[in-house]
Amino acid sequence: MDIEEKLKEIFAKVLSIKKSSVSDKSSMNNTSQWDSFNHLLLINEIEKEFGIEIKSSDINSIRDFASLKSAVENSLKK
Amino acid sequence: MDVKTDKTIAEYFNENKKLEVQDNRPGKKIKIAILSNFTTKGIPEILNVKCNEQGIFSKIYNADYDQYSQEILNQNSKLYQFNPDLTILIIDLQKILGENFFFPYRLKKEERQKLINEKFREIANLINILSEKLNGKIVINNFLVPTYSPFGILENKTDYGFFEMIKSLNEKLGKKYLQNPKVWVFDFDSFASKHGKINIINSKMSYLAEIRIDMNLISKLCDEYIGYIKPFLSIIKKCLVLDLDNTLWGGIIGEDGVGGIKLGPDTPEGRAFVEFQKHILSLYEKGLILAINSKNNPGDALKVLKEHPNQILKQEHFASIKINWNDKISNMKEIADEINIGLDTFVFFDDDPVNREMVRKSLPEIFVPELPPDPSSYIFALQRLNEFNTLTITEEDKKKGELFTSQRKRKLFLESSSDLSQFLKDLDMSVEISKANQFTIPRIFQLIHKTNQFNMTTKRYSEEETKKFCNDKDHIVFCARVKDKFGDNGITCLVIIQKNQKNWKIDTFLLSCRIIGREIEKAILSFLIEQAKKEGIENIIGEFIPSDRNVPAKDFYKDNNFILESTNQGNQIWSLNIENINYKCPEFIKLNFIEN
Repeated sequence: MDIEEKLKEIFAKVLSIKKSSVSDKSSMNNTSQWDSFNHLLLINEIEKEFGIEIKSSDINSIRDFASLKSAVENSLKK
Repeated sequence: MDVKTDKTIAEYFNENKKLEVQDNRPGKKIKIAILSNFTTKGIPEILNVKCNEQGIFSKIYNADYDQYSQEILNQNSKLYQFNPDLTILIIDLQKILGENFFFPYRLKKEERQKLINEKFREIANLINILSEKLNGKIVINNFLVPTYSPFGILENKTDYGFFEMIKSLNEKLGKKYLQNPKVWVFDFDSFASKHGKINIINSKMSYLAEIRIDMNLISKLCDEYIGYIKPFLSIIKKCLVLDLDNTLWGGIIGEDGVGGIKLGPDTPEGRAFVEFQKHILSLYEKGLILAINSKNNPGDALKVLKEHPNQILKQEHFASIKINWNDKISNMKEIADEINIGLDTFVFFDDDPVNREMVRKSLPEIFVPELPPDPSSYIFALQRLNEFNTLTITEEDKKKGELFTSQRKRKLFLESSSDLSQFLKDLDMSVEISKANQFTIPRIFQLIHKTNQFNMTTKRYSEEETKKFCNDKDHIVFCARVKDKFGDNGITCLVIIQKNQKNWKIDTFLLSCRIIGREIEKAILSFLIEQAKKEGIENIIGEFIPSDRNVPAKDFYKDNNFILESTNQGNQIWSLNIENINYKCPEFIKLNFIEN
């Protein structure tokens, strides 16, 4: 499963939404359930699933699906 | 729960959401309040799901961030309005020490001691207030002893250093509540060590959201709280049923013979089994009941129990032994009948996954944990169970094993007696009645909660309420110790009387199931009548509240010439005018009143 697929799965699970409703445009502003606490849960699950660490300074700035995806891809490249 | 992987946090949250919309769920109810000085989001959600997994309907109040003092000190707080059955107090150390956490060595030794005494007094004060205002239990996490000190290797050579400060705070906390039945100090420090203190705080989450316990450990923390919640609700596993081959020893006795099974220092497997048995024996010694359910020739297997030099668990340790070629399900039911406890108090260990699954499916009330394939991990599987917690351990508990052996002898004796009255005569029973006192209260409290069958009213009083009855002038609490020629059954009878000028009302009258059927209740009644007469009482009133388990008690008042005064939704009030009555104790029972 590629990164995008895995990420969408995590989103669907953590936010209790349909995988199909997750897209690059999904953000904290337009996705219900994506509140600040669930944001931390998302980060937690993403870090566990990919075995990466996302910097605290980044956590508050990456609040949409697209930037999370880049953050994961960048971490994995290292 | 067992060696399978835990749910993810998201899964817990989703399940919790579904539970929250259910207004009324079956099962034992509990209201839990969580107070803390950091963000505890995650704990109530996961704890709620875990309670539900155990068949407990929990309502959880998670106080606002860092409001623990205010909630406790404010008489009209939401906490007191909620009136929890259990309050969990989780205080993060770093926050209460402030700058002193970073700079403990700016303080001299005496100042450090003073600081800790001060913090201890603050916390103890809060707990006292909580304890006075609420009837429920309190569980307080103790404090994480840090693993880093700026002093490095010199930390341990420093008198009352940083680490020692925190250890002494924990020690004070533990000591203060040692005897207190309401307040329980949860060893959070030990929990943290178990999972690795370096894993406890996720600094990122801590800085981002004041989450001071890593979210990945919250599930395990909640497991520990469940370890308190279950015995608080009297959900206790009382009996460990064991398979034999490859569970208590390596190999199959029927094939390998006594010399061929692995049990003892000669093989790594053998050593694992010996230690596993030792751990089980230590649980037996605190009062856990053991039973065997094994498919074997009885002769072969019993030979190990009787003769193998490295066998730790011997025949006398087992309350029931089913070694035969019958199916394990009917064996389980027979064990339950024989020991006279419910299948829902059983835990079953069997190395064979097919057997485990079969028992789980056919007898879902029995808890059957997964066993790892390697016996060297059996001890770990046993230790992580957290199912055998009780609120007290009494002398009776420790002697339980002997009790079962003497029960077996009594049973054989009964079977060999030709008639019941001769049997009862030959038993040589004596009943010693006394008023309850501080030494007998823990046992009495146990009886109040465990006794189901011969229990007139099944009233489950808390330890505090029980103590109150013993101390107030409108109540008398009698307990009785029953002995016979096979041994001492211990304190197995309880009567709580509510008295006024003319009448004695029997609020509680119960007999432990092990002494039912011997007319001991008549002996007790004769004593009550005699005592009541001495005090000029006219009537003894008895209440009977039917339950699904107390059918054996339902005819007691009727059979003893009480008159039914009223019935209300099944609850009956009976009365006996004792002014001219002549009620004798059964001849074959010796009755003594020990005035203390």
